[in-house]
Amino acid sequence: MPSAETQTAVEVEVRIDAAPETVFEFFTDPDKMVQWMGRSHDLEARPGGVFRCDINGRDVASGSYVEVDPPRRVVFTWGWESETASTPPGTSTVEVSLEEDGDSTVVRLRHSDLPTDESRASHRHGWEHYAERLTQAASGGDAGPDPWATPAGTDANQ
Amino acid sequence: MDEVARAIAEPRRRDILELVRERELSAGEISASFEVTRPAVSQHLTVLKDAGLLTERRDGARRLYRARPDGLAELRGFLDRFWSDRLERLKHAAELEQQRRNKRAKRRDTDGGRGRGKDRRRA
Repeated sequence: MPSAETQTAVEVEVRIDAAPETVFEFFTDPDKMVQWMGRSHDLEARPGGVFRCDINGRDVASGSYVEVDPPRRVVFTWGWESETASTPPGTSTVEVSLEEDGDSTVVRLRHSDLPTDESRASHRHGWEHYAERLTQAASGGDAGPDPWATPAGTDANQ
Repeated sequence: MDEVARAIAEPRRRDILELVRERELSAGEISASFEVTRPAVSQHLTVLKDAGLLTERRDGARRLYRARPDGLAELRGFLDRFWSDRLERLKHAAELEQQRRNKRAKRRDTDGGRGRGKDRRRA
């Protein structure tokens, strides 16, 4: 069996030809975050401050900043607000590290504490949320630039 | 992918997955755990199996079921894709922003700080 640790996190890495200072603002400034994730934001980039991201006009990711250490590291919690809300805001954690490498920045993102088969009954409702996400992704396809930028559910509701 | 989503969208199927996560059970044992008819359980098992979330093993006349962790890993795959897509967009946006900044800095150098402002954009 895979360990709980490997089962409950995803890790993604990207190299960006920009300075860490430039990249960092995309995690704290609503005008910049909207360029890569979500439609509107409420961000208070300080420990304990609000992290709220309206993903597509219906689904809202929400939590709070845990660490804000420009331009190296930012950590925030992540959950979902919605009528069918099941993964409460702040139940998973997103850690982002920015490492300067010449003229580039290597961004490492780790999303942990996800509901998985290792989760106990208390996390079970997480399934409902991810099930919904999966259905949307499947119906919207992932070829487009940002399938989540449009309100999902029109296809799923038929 | 959507098969997984559909499979776990049903609460009863999530219950079944929980039940057989750490031990192998027969269809009879599974239906005995819930107030659900045997045919209903069989149907759920088929959906879960088709989605790759369950393994089935024959033991004489019995069929035994167990959760397949690899199938559940597909959920992580979904989030992997979500963040990969987002970071690609971040890369694009941040690189454009950096180019703008570099241009502005260069202009300041060549114009002695006056700046042209013709196509200036707000940062």
